[in-house]
Amino acid sequence: MTETQAGTGEAMASPVAPQVPAIELDGVVKEYLANGEVVQAVKGVTLSIAEGEFFSLLGPSGCGKTTTMRMIAGFEDPSRGVVRLHGRDVTNVPPNRRDVNMVFQSYALFPHMNVWENVAFGLRRRKTPEAEIKRRVGETLEIVDLVGREKRRPREMSGGQQQRVALARALVNRPRALLLDEPLGALDLKLRQAMQIELKRIQREVGITFVYVTHDQSEALTMSDRIAVMHDGLVEQLASPREIYERPATAFVAGFIGTSNLIRGTVDRVESGNAVLALDEGGRVLVAEASHRAGDPITITVRPEKITISTEEPAGGLSAVRGTVSEVVYLGLYNSYAVRLADGAEVTVFQQNALDSSSTAERGDAVWLSWQPHHSYAIGS
Amino acid sequence: MRRVRATAAPYLLALPAWIWFGVFFVVPIAAMASVSLTTGNILEGFQQTFSVSNYAAAIGQYHTQMIRSLVYGGVATVIMLLLAYPMAYWIAFKGGRRKSMYLFLLLLPFFVSFVLRTISWGFLLADDGILFGPLKSAGLLPQGFHVLATEFAVIGGLVYNFLPFMVLPIYVALERVDPRVIEAAYDLYASRWAAFRRVVLPLSLPGVFAGVLMTFVPATADPVNARVLGGTGTTMIGNIIQTEYMTNNDYPTASALSFTLMAVLLVGIFVYARSLGTENVLEAAAR
Amino acid sequence: MHDPRTSPAFLRGMTRSRSVSRRDAFRLAGLSAAGLALSACGVQGQQKAAPKPSEVADFWSGKQKNGKVVFANWPEYMPEDRGPLKKFQQETGIAFDYLEVIDENATFFGKAEPQFKAGQPLGYDIIVITNGMQFARMQALGYLVALDHKQLPNFAANAAPKYKNPAYDPDNTYSIPYTSGMTGIAYNTKYVKEPITSIQALFDPKYKGKVGMMADAQEIANYGLLALGITPEKSTKADWEKAAALLDKQREDGLVRKYFDQDYIDAVSKGDVWLTMGWSGDVFQRQLAGEPVAFAVPEEGGTIWTDNMMIPKGAANPVDALMLMDHLYKPEVAAELTEYIQYVTPVPAVKELLSTKAAGLKGEDKEALEAMIASPLVFPSEEDYAKLHGYVSPTEPAEQEAFQSMFQAVTQG
Repeated sequence: MTETQAGTGEAMASPVAPQVPAIELDGVVKEYLANGEVVQAVKGVTLSIAEGEFFSLLGPSGCGKTTTMRMIAGFEDPSRGVVRLHGRDVTNVPPNRRDVNMVFQSYALFPHMNVWENVAFGLRRRKTPEAEIKRRVGETLEIVDLVGREKRRPREMSGGQQQRVALARALVNRPRALLLDEPLGALDLKLRQAMQIELKRIQREVGITFVYVTHDQSEALTMSDRIAVMHDGLVEQLASPREIYERPATAFVAGFIGTSNLIRGTVDRVESGNAVLALDEGGRVLVAEASHRAGDPITITVRPEKITISTEEPAGGLSAVRGTVSEVVYLGLYNSYAVRLADGAEVTVFQQNALDSSSTAERGDAVWLSWQPHHSYAIGS
Repeated sequence: MRRVRATAAPYLLALPAWIWFGVFFVVPIAAMASVSLTTGNILEGFQQTFSVSNYAAAIGQYHTQMIRSLVYGGVATVIMLLLAYPMAYWIAFKGGRRKSMYLFLLLLPFFVSFVLRTISWGFLLADDGILFGPLKSAGLLPQGFHVLATEFAVIGGLVYNFLPFMVLPIYVALERVDPRVIEAAYDLYASRWAAFRRVVLPLSLPGVFAGVLMTFVPATADPVNARVLGGTGTTMIGNIIQTEYMTNNDYPTASALSFTLMAVLLVGIFVYARSLGTENVLEAAAR
Repeated sequence: MHDPRTSPAFLRGMTRSRSVSRRDAFRLAGLSAAGLALSACGVQGQQKAAPKPSEVADFWSGKQKNGKVVFANWPEYMPEDRGPLKKFQQETGIAFDYLEVIDENATFFGKAEPQFKAGQPLGYDIIVITNGMQFARMQALGYLVALDHKQLPNFAANAAPKYKNPAYDPDNTYSIPYTSGMTGIAYNTKYVKEPITSIQALFDPKYKGKVGMMADAQEIANYGLLALGITPEKSTKADWEKAAALLDKQREDGLVRKYFDQDYIDAVSKGDVWLTMGWSGDVFQRQLAGEPVAFAVPEEGGTIWTDNMMIPKGAANPVDALMLMDHLYKPEVAAELTEYIQYVTPVPAVKELLSTKAAGLKGEDKEALEAMIASPLVFPSEEDYAKLHGYVSPTEPAEQEAFQSMFQAVTQG
């Protein structure tokens, strides 16, 4: 009885059932009229972001990621499609009545207000009692480590501090979701890395859904629970960082995320569950889990660090390709090799620097490249 | 030696500016101050007596026109502000790619000389002219109705003639407001009005301040509108200074009046700057 | 031929001598520049007594013609083709430079005064100034060259006696007239149905708010005095006070719409004012253009003013200037000028010359010229002249100041 009550109580404590996504986009399209022509910035995006998730929209500039975010915030009206926040259709709700807050790329702090006033702005607009404003602004400034700087004006602060004010200004409202538009873009590398960790910590602390727009793949990989890779107004792949990295769904994703080698060929035969590609110059490429049949054209990607470089022919059961080392670059932690295959294609290989570096190949050496079948990943063309 | 030269360099670079300032500002002002402290008349000559009696006499004789000018200038400035702000706002935020065209249109009448422009208002506003004539014939206005030769005409003329000097600085200030900052206000639950009141308006105040300075001062000192559009009892201090200088050749009185006007305007501007001081205003706007 | 149908009156209303011009806008700017020229440590007055004949002779002896003359005049005071000047050039070989740079006595003098005071030449050999305060000041301050009347035979022969030896310049020591005009009452016949005969019309309550007066102290003072039956030339300070009080009451009663500098003619022809103090030539122009304006010299009297040619001190070509001044007194030249200017000429022979010309014309040209010859505005009768008075001309500085501040208090209150 007690247990049942407790269970019910718990269920009632969260009015929104856990399976209702925090944010849903359903066939969202955004069209602009530019020089009399209709241009589609977003060509139909459907995705759902779970409560408490750290979700990234990743892609090069012009891919539609910022427009997508601005449609979630309410700054842009979708030309078609529906935007839902916690199950509620907000497609035509203005930004000031959406329970999401945004952290702008340039921070967009109010230059005429000090830190405290900036952070209190949202609460004041919602007519929050003064005592509560005081408490919550204080708490939030503590979270972002800005206690003691309340009276500063934005222009008197460093980029990193302004960034944290912008974050606090949004967080203090306890929005259902926080939208961050390239928030670290203006910071230098070291500060950016520190802030990545900081953001992740804050997100865990407050438990709010973060939607993070970035063109920096390492940032997205580091921080996100899931990533939507966007290209040309469409989501190319929506998956966890690991999956995106290991198993890029398209050539674009493979190319955009990290370094990747693309190898094209035709399936020669299927052998003990692996498709075998025939290459002109002998050698072989094995592709695991392939549902391909002999004669199918196929493109596979293989990450540089999965490839082993050696002077002896590798054992069976591995992909094995011959080539000539055309460039060696020493990168400290590892070496980067460019290996030219017989057909002229160039393959990049990362080889960790072993204690004994004598085994590495030199420029001009004829070498074998080998990798496990499951590191060959067939992608859609 | 090198150090000396290095520290002197900025001052040397500023030298032309200082010479300009000296020749075209300090010397005339000093000369005018000196003339205002002479006594005499054109026929018998003027003596430097350092007597401030000119000031007492000028203010005693012309305080009515001085106060009237300040009132006209002030009212015209308030009207200009009320007209110019929405115009500047519209051009800055709704003008889109035609912004420069709208600004050009705003300035277009000003390719015609100031006086001719004012005279053409005399034609427009004539008692039975193209504006009021038909309205009177239609019985919409009483026969005796007139705008010319009233303070409305003078203030209207001031508003018309100086409006761009109010619009342009406000436009520049609004144009400089980062649209993202306004979006941030909306994002933080501000209604359109709250976003304007708390963010756009405070950020545009420097433009408002500049606009008020650039219109209030010349409008208050203007002699042309009162002369062309005014009637009895609308004479402004600028007309008095002209008459004293040109007609009466009473240079000391003309100088004393100019100085008094300058002092009153400076005090007014100072008080205005203090009461509407940028920092304070901004602080207050955040409440 | 000057064609009235092209409405020169409109042009004149906008640009001619007695109307506002863009130059006024620069007046205030001129203040500071002129102020600079004033020495900071007091300026001595330079009041001069009338020159002795020997001094005049000394000045002119040995002076030669230089073959060049610079004439500064009011706009619309010379035919567009500059005929009279070209004739002068043909006859004498003297080249002319004609500049329309004077549009108000006070403005012109206000700008020239610092130059005069500093002893710099203005760059003009002849200037045209109305009799009045500025002219009086130029005489008193010695800014003018006394004329050598031996070199002005045409003036001696052809000027009407009443234009010689005027009160404002005894013996024409410094000036000879260029043209004259009357200050009377201009009224719009569309609104004023009765003919105006008396100066009291300007004080009639039925024209409340529709009366125009002139802002110039000398002009308005004359009308205040005439309205009280006082002869302006003989008025005393006590008379001025009475006149100022009358004019002040006129203003306080709301009769006056506006005190005009020069732009009254547009106001009266548009009907903004129904009747106003006005100048004869302006009204005649508008009549020719078919506008409903009439002009009356009130039975109590009106004012006659004269624009005078004079040689400013420091003029480079005084002999050439005298020759040109005298040239304009040849009847045929004066006739050509009068036909264009349409103000009152000081050369009586003009009337007959123009009548002869009119007889040889046809149609509208003939009508227009005949109308002009018949007009009392251009050729006033002896009766008209009898009613005309000169300006009040106080000479003492203190009197001048009292006079001006009295009447300026009315017009600039």
